Amino acid sequence: MLKTPHWEMLIVWYFFLGGIAGGAYFTAAIADNFGGARDRAVARVGYLLSLPLVAVCGILLIADLGVPTRFMNMIGTLKFWDPMSIGAWAVGVFGLFTFVSSVLSLSSSASRAALRRKIGIVGIFFGFFLASYTGVLLSNSALPFWRDARLMGALFLASGASTGIAAITLIMFATGQAAGEGWGRLKRADHVSMVIEAVLLIALVVLLGAGAKPLVSGHYATLFWGGLVGVGLVVPFVLDFVGHRARAVGALAAALVLIGGFVLRYVVLMSIQA
Amino acid sequence: MARTLAMFTDTSLCIGCRACQVACKQWNELGLEVPEWTGGYQNHAHFTDKTFRLVRFIEEPGGKPNGDLAWLLMSDVCKHCAQAGCLDACPTGAIYRTEYGTVNINQDVCNGCRYCVSSCPFGVVAFNESTGTAKKCTFCNDRIHNGLGPACAKACPTESIQFGFRDDLVKKAAKRVETLKGMGFQEAQLYGHDSAGFLGGLNAFFLLLSKPSVYNLPDNPRLPQRNVVVDSLLSIGSALAVGLGVLLSFRERGKGDTTHDA
Repeated sequence: MLKTPHWEMLIVWYFFLGGIAGGAYFTAAIADNFGGARDRAVARVGYLLSLPLVAVCGILLIADLGVPTRFMNMIGTLKFWDPMSIGAWAVGVFGLFTFVSSVLSLSSSASRAALRRKIGIVGIFFGFFLASYTGVLLSNSALPFWRDARLMGALFLASGASTGIAAITLIMFATGQAAGEGWGRLKRADHVSMVIEAVLLIALVVLLGAGAKPLVSGHYATLFWGGLVGVGLVVPFVLDFVGHRARAVGALAAALVLIGGFVLRYVVLMSIQA
Repeated sequence: MARTLAMFTDTSLCIGCRACQVACKQWNELGLEVPEWTGGYQNHAHFTDKTFRLVRFIEEPGGKPNGDLAWLLMSDVCKHCAQAGCLDACPTGAIYRTEYGTVNINQDVCNGCRYCVSSCPFGVVAFNESTGTAKKCTFCNDRIHNGLGPACAKACPTESIQFGFRDDLVKKAAKRVETLKGMGFQEAQLYGHDSAGFLGGLNAFFLLLSKPSVYNLPDNPRLPQRNVVVDSLLSIGSALAVGLGVLLSFRERGKGDTTHDA
């Protein structure tokens, strides 16, 4: 009989917020480097969002330890083949990137903007890493369903992108920055990542076959189909399609994407642990 | 490195007295647990943070050659795998391999992340709420460093648990299988003796009287970390797709607005 690690609500929140932090950062850095002047606001919101989120992530991770005062013990060792080890390092390094990028995004100087873009290019990789390693961590365990869900890292990355972009969208809406043309581009980016997420989710379930039972037909199936597939993927698409770029409808769709992202982590973690 | 030490548990000799389980509790000061109803004599149902040796009482319907119920006994323990999932998973270095080839958890370094718990293919490692650390069989690390065998092996009255150098024990075990087969135990087999087999061989290996699955042991346990390269590449593929998608969504398309004004 195998044992579960009891990674419960703190870790569900960490997986969720870590995905948003990574997704918001790499979206910001891509918009900063490859977008135009009207995407500056997207970049700034993305950078400034990832900083507090990664700080919360660190606190959640430390609070979940059996001996929180020993959290620094993770930084005495580096095992490049071990997701938990490089993950702990990556949270710290990514935190530095979000801090520097956030500070530089507040400046209007052109030279600092150039520096910010260069730092963003490197930081993109840490953003990708933070959004995906949690899935690889699960698929590198001995537990059925987790160990067989080989696409979990890939799926978490796409979900990190869609939730990160949705969070930026919501903040833009709430702070009255939704008027410009940047909105449509943000929505387009969210749709692209949601399509990739949906494709990966289907592939993951199909590849799991009977192993997908904890997701699709177990105790958590209602949450999976209703919360993730329905509320998190299908409804936002329909809303954006019928909403004709109405800002409030778009913001509602973004909120639903966030709920779907949370449900994904919740179902994946809790379905075999509860 | 010193010669690898091992424990060989010959389940054909086990009489289910649980002296090993008690000796382990006493020597390692593991403390009391409330017994649980498991439907038989076995207690506890699984390894816990206070049960490192566990005698399993297994009923196998039709397990005897004449079709009767076979009652199988097995004193189970941490396997001290040559390729240990818990050790590879540990991000603090608290889990280490001793010079004797055994796997141990340094209680002063473990910070209780519990990744080892989910990385053990046998469900051995358990989390202790009061110390906040992971616990498992230490192979009586304090005893073997002072010339004493593990407490369980010392206490076993039938030599079902034998302690010694691994290479010696493997030879002995192979002979024992032949003897048992000659006696009519056709399913007698070794589990984890082969250092070219799964997990690089187990330093606590077993002689079973039936298929591993009857004892709730995996037929071919896999090191969890074997997944890391492929799963990482899949994630990189996803990153490329998502990154490109986001990039194309934001890229200015011939609108003459590619200036990088901050």
